[in-house]
Amino acid sequence: MADASAPLIQLQDVSKRFASGTAALAGVSLQVSAGQFVALLGPSGCGKSTVLRLAAGLEQASTGQVDAPALRADATQPTAFVFQDPTLMPWATVFDNVWLPLRLQGVPRQQAAPAVQQVLTRVGLADFAQAWPAQLSGGMKMRVSMARALVTRPRVLLMDEPFAALDDITRQALNSDLLAWWAAEPMAALFVTHSVAEAVFLSQRVLVMAARPGRVVAELAIDEPYPRQPAFRHSPAFAQACLQLGQALAAAHAGEGAPA
Amino acid sequence: MQRRHALTLTALALLAGPALAQDKVTFATNWKAQAAHGGFYQAVVDGTYKKYGLDVTIQQGGPSVNNRPLLPAGRIDFLMTGNLLHSFDNIKNKVPTVVVAAMFQKDPQALLAHPGQGYEKFENLKNAPLALVAKDGQFTWWQWLKVTHGFKDEAIKPYNYNLGPFLANPKAVQQGYSVAEPIYVENQGKFKPVVHLLADHGFSTYSTLIEARADTVKNKPDLVQRFVDASAIGWANYLYGNRKAAAAAMIRDNPEMTEAEMEASVALMKAQGIVDSGEAATKGIGAMNAARIKDFYEQMVKAGLYKAGDVDLSQVATLQFVNKGVGADIKGKSGGK
Amino acid sequence: MMRSHAERALPTLVIVGLLLAWELGVRAAGIPAYTLPTPSLIAQTLWLNAASLGHSWWVTLQITLGALALACAGGVLLAGVFALSPLTERALMPVAVVLQVTPIVAVAPLILIYVDSTHAALLLCAWIVAFFPILSNTVIGLRAADPQLRELFKLYRATPWQRLALLRVPAALPYFLAGLRISGGLSLIGAVTAEMVAGAAGRETGLASRILEASFRTETPKMFAALALLVATGVIIFWITGALSRRLLGPWHASESAAPH
Repeated sequence: MADASAPLIQLQDVSKRFASGTAALAGVSLQVSAGQFVALLGPSGCGKSTVLRLAAGLEQASTGQVDAPALRADATQPTAFVFQDPTLMPWATVFDNVWLPLRLQGVPRQQAAPAVQQVLTRVGLADFAQAWPAQLSGGMKMRVSMARALVTRPRVLLMDEPFAALDDITRQALNSDLLAWWAAEPMAALFVTHSVAEAVFLSQRVLVMAARPGRVVAELAIDEPYPRQPAFRHSPAFAQACLQLGQALAAAHAGEGAPA
Repeated sequence: MQRRHALTLTALALLAGPALAQDKVTFATNWKAQAAHGGFYQAVVDGTYKKYGLDVTIQQGGPSVNNRPLLPAGRIDFLMTGNLLHSFDNIKNKVPTVVVAAMFQKDPQALLAHPGQGYEKFENLKNAPLALVAKDGQFTWWQWLKVTHGFKDEAIKPYNYNLGPFLANPKAVQQGYSVAEPIYVENQGKFKPVVHLLADHGFSTYSTLIEARADTVKNKPDLVQRFVDASAIGWANYLYGNRKAAAAAMIRDNPEMTEAEMEASVALMKAQGIVDSGEAATKGIGAMNAARIKDFYEQMVKAGLYKAGDVDLSQVATLQFVNKGVGADIKGKSGGK
Repeated sequence: MMRSHAERALPTLVIVGLLLAWELGVRAAGIPAYTLPTPSLIAQTLWLNAASLGHSWWVTLQITLGALALACAGGVLLAGVFALSPLTERALMPVAVVLQVTPIVAVAPLILIYVDSTHAALLLCAWIVAFFPILSNTVIGLRAADPQLRELFKLYRATPWQRLALLRVPAALPYFLAGLRISGGLSLIGAVTAEMVAGAAGRETGLASRILEASFRTETPKMFAALALLVATGVIIFWITGALSRRLLGPWHASESAAPH
């Protein structure tokens, strides 16, 4: 779904300097529209998480413009954020964890139940509504985290290396599921990862970032149509894209990349 | 060769006299050192105990101190108790101790009150909103006051040897010895308190009793006799002789005490006939008789503190060490001052 | 994890074994009752004096539980205030620390002088002893919320009240319960210490006063009987707070998961 509507997330020449003096970002610009799946790819410390947090309103830019629904006063376009940890409330059941965003909006339990149950079914955890996070495996906890993200039917889905802590098999399964969930609603997805393969499989555009200071040094379009099958991973186009991104990363590391 | 050496040493030891054959004795009191303990301290400092072959250490008590378990446990040899109720309790609970002498013929236990507050009559004391009583008294004569004279537990607060709470509250009453606390109150509070002697209202017990373990009495009667005699003489010397050294010893144990207070106390002891009045005048200091003990017990039974068969009176006290006239003559000798 | 019957019986067996050793040892050595009574004599004395000791037990229990309840209320309330205002925390925490380190035995006589009602004075003494662990632990607990959860709440535009009720309070619960466990025992200790100092008499006679009284009247078996009741109280409180902890934290907190991972 390459729906080119007005950009939902927009960063213009954004710089971020932390109180400690670290220049996390320097002159970053990017746009993500509804219906787009964009990956931010780069090594540790390149500021990709910072970009995500700026879009979520969890950080303020030092200079430049950030425009995203999360920063606006009205809440008609919900933003969802998925951390690398499932970040579940251990004292609450799966149901209560997924209900949380709606609950914070004032939706009572009975009223929220259908939406919660529906999204739990979507992530494949229909029977686990009353389970406790402590009883779940890593992959299942991440699914709950996803369910929580999706329950508000967000317009913006921000994900910070959500599958990095999982094993390959679970990770690949979740990759496919994530694409299905994303396809069901018209949302702008921004996905941070340091895995080249994951970036290629999931996204339409991959932005390569370099560190010190954090900046976008390359952009690659992945033209494979959706829905993408696991077989895509074994196609020549996939391998080609991985190769190009690998080279871009190496170049970035060597410091030769110029801002895109 | 060796046996001759042993014989020589033994002979020398015997010849050297009591100085070498001193029995070590610990005597625990029931309060901080005051004139009411004077006789014992006197016997230590003027050599009376030493003359009787005793090396006596006096272990001071206090308002919250409970020296009593030390006696049956064998940690002390003799114990001073304030009234016969302690002995009744011991015998009731099969604790093998026995009273061997009664230094005070009259119990100076009293209740003090502020003048002009309506406490001139004993009957009004029970209405005091605050009664300062130490632990020892709380579980003996106070129990008797409750039953016989209608005093109430709600009024009690602990008396910690500090006159502050009493002085600060005109409606308060507090315990004291008729020969001691009134003097302190006059010194600190600058007024003469109303003093009600419990003995005047039916509390007819002996006081400042010497208690010993039953097995000490059985196995070392000679030691007990010496201690009782020396203590009686010590008391006579204290009341009628030179008290200065005893005063110094008591101030060492209890720095809050002053010689002036102790002198005033001795005067009151003589005036009130605490030590050598009644039987003690003829039968010697420490005198006791079984009839009086029985009478006191029956009063306590009537008061509900004990049931009739609770205490075997024959075990409470033994008269074998007293009533021999010891100490009765010293008053005459020193001119009865 | 299911414990075998043998495992569960072990603590009881140990206690019974110790009591047996005590009973036989005292008899064999011929120790008199006024020095060390046998457990059977203590039980007998307890039975004979059930009414009066029971009344005293109730008095001590009232003070203990009353102080514990007040310590909970005070500790949690103050912890909440500290959580909302770090300035207040910085100002008042030293006061709380002073309260904690002051030996209650030294302070109790003063409190008894200044406070009219003995009951209130005893409550206050026990409260002082029990209050700090709850305050300290709850303060830490209220700060213990996962930073990422905090960000999530911020993202979903939670109100401060929602943040407190749905995030900080549940996160603080394990810490609070740990503090409660400690304070349970301390409130008993505080109550008994205060009673000992007060030598409270009359209606307010709790177990500590009975122990004092028995010691002054050389009634050693009664002392031990009262002591046994005190120990039982402490054990019961410990058990109840433990059960509460298991109930509230069981499904989800590491401290209560039985099987080692």
